[in-house]
Amino acid sequence: MSDDTFMGVPRSKIPWCPTIDYDKCDYCMECDEFCPHRVFERREGEEKKLVVAHPENCVVFCKACGKTCDPDALTFPDKKETIELIKRLREEGKDGG
Amino acid sequence: MEGSREDAIEIVVLPCSGLDKEAGSASRELALLLQEKGASVVCPVLYQRSPKRYEKVLGGGRLLVIDGCKTGCASKLAAECGLKMVKKLTVTEAAKERGVKAGKNPNLREALRHLLPTLADELLSVEPVETPVAVGARDPFVGPVTFREFSVDKFVFRVPDSGYFFNENDCWARVEGTLARVGVSDYVQQSASDMVFFEPPAIGTEVSIFDEVGSLETTKTALDIISPVSGKVVGVNQEVVETPELINEDPYERGWAVELELADFDSDRELLMDSGAYFDYLKQKAEREHKELYGG
Repeated sequence: MSDDTFMGVPRSKIPWCPTIDYDKCDYCMECDEFCPHRVFERREGEEKKLVVAHPENCVVFCKACGKTCDPDALTFPDKKETIELIKRLREEGKDGG
Repeated sequence: MEGSREDAIEIVVLPCSGLDKEAGSASRELALLLQEKGASVVCPVLYQRSPKRYEKVLGGGRLLVIDGCKTGCASKLAAECGLKMVKKLTVTEAAKERGVKAGKNPNLREALRHLLPTLADELLSVEPVETPVAVGARDPFVGPVTFREFSVDKFVFRVPDSGYFFNENDCWARVEGTLARVGVSDYVQQSASDMVFFEPPAIGTEVSIFDEVGSLETTKTALDIISPVSGKVVGVNQEVVETPELINEDPYERGWAVELELADFDSDRELLMDSGAYFDYLKQKAEREHKELYGG
């Protein structure tokens, strides 16, 4: 399902995905309904009824699911830091690191 | 309630009918306020049962859509029915911008009620987005664009031969001097289906590379335009605001979304693919996705 790389960097090395604030989440499941990449998973009968089960499926720099969240329970990593990380990893890749 | 007046109708309102939530009720109240001011209101429930009743009203007016919350039922209904929205508002979002939080706010109902007259006035002052700059005889972006294409099953994808730069979010920038036009690729328009609404950024917005620079709604989904370049928004494609399906018809030329004055393209360029690299990237991606969906 997930791409192996993003901008030449292994996707697994880019920590971009939503984080659920469970103090705010009201389990409306709108984010899960919206996201076509199967990032979230519902957990029936568990305390956390929704989890970020497949972070590697999240499209880097996409925050669209956050727009569906009325209680603002979804946050994302800092974009500038993510860009810097990608740049660094690309440089390391060029150097054979 | 059904907007059956005989006189010319300019503003038509399609509100949320989520009466189980405060914001849903507020969207209905807001619609009624607008009706008092001369707008016609489309009942979403009746519209779904009997769309013909609103054919005339919807055919002759500018449609404002009011969603109660981010579930966006009213705008989804408009998109599913192919209704062209000129403006939309989400009550919880508009309230948040004015310091009223939804969630577990016990005073939400009262707080929203106070806001409604302001929101009504704002909605009625539907103004066209500022017209784009640099469109006309001296438009630097006018010029022939040639394409390469490839097929995956019955789908044919086009990528410009040159002059365009892409990010891996399938958004492009066409750069001319210190200006760039930004849009979404042919792959996006085909995957996302028919475009029904383009919400542009404000003129003057400073954008960093990979920031959202407008959003699109289609009959299938909603998506952000992730900017491939940094800069200041200096133009918005008014044609696309009014006719979002232009993105489907011509994603790389007439379907551009915004124009930016570039801030540091040399730096941005390091993180982008040129047309040739994007062609190869997209071909692999489209083939992989097709295999995942249909096997083989």
